[in-house]
Amino acid sequence: MSLTLVIGNKNYSSWSMRPWIAMKAAGIPFKEIVIPLYLPGSPEKILQYSPAGKVPILIDGDQTIWDSLAILEHLAERFRDKQLWPSDARARSHARAISAEMHGGFQPLRQHATMNLWLPPKPRPMPDEVLVNVRRIDALWSDCRARYGKGGNFLFGETFGNADAMYAPVVARFHNYGLPVSPAARAYMDAVMATPAWREWYDAAMKETWIMQHNEPDWPLVRGV
Amino acid sequence: MTLRLMIGNKKYSSWSLRPWIAMSVAGIAFEERVIPFESEEFKREVGGVSGTGKVPVLIDGDIRIWESLAILEYLAEKFPTAGLWPKDVAARAHARVVANEMHAGFQALRNHLPANFARRVIKRELTPPVIADVQRIEALWADCRARFGKGGPFLFGAFCAADAMYAPVVARLNTYDVDVGPPTHAYMAAIMALPAWQQWIAAGIKEPWLFAEDEVDWPKTQNIE
Repeated sequence: MSLTLVIGNKNYSSWSMRPWIAMKAAGIPFKEIVIPLYLPGSPEKILQYSPAGKVPILIDGDQTIWDSLAILEHLAERFRDKQLWPSDARARSHARAISAEMHGGFQPLRQHATMNLWLPPKPRPMPDEVLVNVRRIDALWSDCRARYGKGGNFLFGETFGNADAMYAPVVARFHNYGLPVSPAARAYMDAVMATPAWREWYDAAMKETWIMQHNEPDWPLVRGV
Repeated sequence: MTLRLMIGNKKYSSWSLRPWIAMSVAGIAFEERVIPFESEEFKREVGGVSGTGKVPVLIDGDIRIWESLAILEYLAEKFPTAGLWPKDVAARAHARVVANEMHAGFQALRNHLPANFARRVIKRELTPPVIADVQRIEALWADCRARFGKGGPFLFGAFCAADAMYAPVVARLNTYDVDVGPPTHAYMAAIMALPAWQQWIAAGIKEPWLFAEDEVDWPKTQNIE
């Protein structure tokens, strides 16, 4: 049964990046449909696939699954050998806790540092509430790396899994907005950004031509040009 | 090993209700510990075990899990016969979809209609974003009931984790006397008829702690007598 993933623009759609990068990193084949967001007709196009009107959407046979975390849970069940969640019960419960924390939280970071992969990386001033988020995420990554990450470069070791996928857009935000992180967090970010899946997403994003003014902090400067 | 659940005030803590009612309905034994918000005890106890410093927290031996959704997934794995998720793959995927949509969404509803389990039913005027949330929730419930709810009065027939995620929404719709259709009313009535629900409300009414920000009638309170 073939899988289809409906996503938004790769430069901006942080929620879309999550299941996409998880599937790519795990080697799960799928067809992608990109619907650029915030253009005339975009909402109607998305509603053709999901009544929630949001991307990403996974179509698996006659099942339509939306919401990034529900998609990741579905994939973990369907492709058990890919270990999208850690096989150890304790590590798995922790991976789910931090994934849920990302899923429902960090509003200030998401609001003030919207994902924008082509934004020239440099330190940008941020309100304190964003820095509180940054410190929490840095601590959470460093803790995962120390407790569960010994066998590799990712949060739970060797396998790039669902928790890494949930935080991949955060890696992008931290990088592009030059947010202050510890060396351990920086090393983790570099490992994520060096994965072939990340490179593939990034390269595709750089080729996009849709510009969303409200997500361009240097407007009218875009892509440093 | 006894499971322990740390929760906030039963009068106000919508997130705490979720795992509490799921475990109670499923017949999973646990010790509860109510820790009032903003108390010294809360800072000391919850800060020490929860990554986020928030309730609920499930403690299973030396495993500590925060985030209501991650707790529900953990319980579903630990008690595979408790029916926390539907057995059927398609129903389970959809249950996760709607649970996740709740987990990260409906901000307008949550802000405008704060959970207040001890408040009498009194109508509150709604804003357009809240009305949009209510419409989406009604459509989502109706769809679940129509497609998966044949075997019982709940979203997927028998009570499951998706119902637990929406239980506080039932309270909000009820407390603020929100206009909803008959199928929504029927679903709400099924939730509110659960013995576990009634125990929670009864305990909430008895609590002495008041929080102005969750009391929309402040400086008055409109508690159930």
